[in-house]
Amino acid sequence: MGKTSRTLVTMPASAKKGDIIEIRIIVQHDMESGFRHTETGQRVPRDIIRDFLCTYNDIEVFRVELHPGMGANPMIIFTTVATESGTLEFKWTGDDGYASSTTSQLLVT
Amino acid sequence: MSDQNAEMTFIAKVFVCCGICALVVVGALAKADPVGNERQSSYELMSADTKAMQDDPLLNPANFAVLDGRALWQEATGTNKIACAACHGEAKVSMKGVAASFPKLSTSRTGGRSLLNLGGRINQCRTEHQGAAPLALESKPLLSLSAFVSTQSKGMPITVERHASNAAHLEAGERLFNLRLGQLNLSCAQCHAERPGQKLAGNLIPQAHPTAYPIYRLEWQSVGSLERRLRNCLTGVRAEPFAFGSKELLELELFLAWRARGMPLESPGVRP
Amino acid sequence: MNRRAFVFSAAVASGLPSFNALGEVADATQAVEKIVGNKNVSRGRVTLVIPPLVENGNLVTMKVSVESPMTKTDYVQAIHIVAEGNPLPNVVSFYLSARSGRAVITTRIRLGDSQRVRAIAHMSDGSFWQGDASTLVTIAACAEV
Repeated sequence: MGKTSRTLVTMPASAKKGDIIEIRIIVQHDMESGFRHTETGQRVPRDIIRDFLCTYNDIEVFRVELHPGMGANPMIIFTTVATESGTLEFKWTGDDGYASSTTSQLLVT
Repeated sequence: MSDQNAEMTFIAKVFVCCGICALVVVGALAKADPVGNERQSSYELMSADTKAMQDDPLLNPANFAVLDGRALWQEATGTNKIACAACHGEAKVSMKGVAASFPKLSTSRTGGRSLLNLGGRINQCRTEHQGAAPLALESKPLLSLSAFVSTQSKGMPITVERHASNAAHLEAGERLFNLRLGQLNLSCAQCHAERPGQKLAGNLIPQAHPTAYPIYRLEWQSVGSLERRLRNCLTGVRAEPFAFGSKELLELELFLAWRARGMPLESPGVRP
Repeated sequence: MNRRAFVFSAAVASGLPSFNALGEVADATQAVEKIVGNKNVSRGRVTLVIPPLVENGNLVTMKVSVESPMTKTDYVQAIHIVAEGNPLPNVVSFYLSARSGRAVITTRIRLGDSQRVRAIAHMSDGSFWQGDASTLVTIAACAEV
């Protein structure tokens, strides 16, 4: 189906080799839990983001499995070690063909 | 059928609970409506976590609505294929202070004057200048545009004042604020003017100043307008909520904005 | 379900903490067993911070930290969050690596009720450690329905 939405990442643009950098990421998604009902009593089907993947120069450094108990507009703050300059990629995938991603460059000196 | 009966029993029990709470609240000591520096945004009543959520745009769930609004601002639309930006340019310049002046009377192209809130004014622009259909009230695009325009007034004082032209609307809004409504027979004033800071069912009662709209209400898990929140209040006192865009809600919004004049706008806000 | 909802609303109205249905705690125990298999879960090294009183259960900020040197030979490989009072006890699982630097993660979760939330850390040596936090979840006044 190809649903997508905005994802915003905050992290430093540069770091010294060996530094631990903090990464904040948030994605626009209602995370419909599957437990809500409409006013007429019909259950609203589940429609959530299921997975988050962070790669650093194509190597997985952090991964998340999300369940309906994650809040809407999922927000995660995590860390990674600055090893070499390159690209960090952040990918979300979920129900109904949902996929979004963004990248950020890191200069490591 | 038996499920329905069980449902009604549950509602009746919640109603009784609310009724008991209401009696306890009403029985406590009443005060006069806070004015001037005694006024306080409901921001002050929130937990540290929720305040932090509002303060940091990267944590604020309403931020996405602002970004959506910015995209809509730049999108050519309507039969005239014209974007908001084409006339208004940079919103941070042209819209500075605008949201803080609503609701207000607006003259339409046909010459009629009507009381409009920000959403209504955006729709007036759409129909009159863009040749576009008005956006449905409380729809995502209208809320996004409202969020984007409102945040351009962030930090600025609400400038709604009493004039000869809006006096009748203002008085109607004030009457509604003081009118007992619903099965619980409570007026806005009884909770928000006379008993702010006291508790209703475990929650602190705010003074109810509309300083942060549109808000991301955690209860809704989405962004919504002041009208949506007022309709929740009406449901809370077990009254039939006035329709979106109704005269009653608009006049109440006008009164609430006037009552909050001088207080800074926080939009977009986060509220529980 | 209706009786529980009534008791919950009455408990909230009277300011008392509500209780979790025994069924949900059992689900949570099963969820933890699925994670750890037949291994023991030791208490300690894991700190879970959730506000003790939450204004609205729809978006609750939580922070989990695990004491670990996070080296190639000694690191946290996963942290699982299990909510004892939610209809689905598994909330989120984080998979870290030796490249994570620290095992400290902040996120926002949904809590359907006042409850205990558990954080289970899976270490690189195969051991499991846990910490937990209990919280009271209040419901908003003047809701839509």
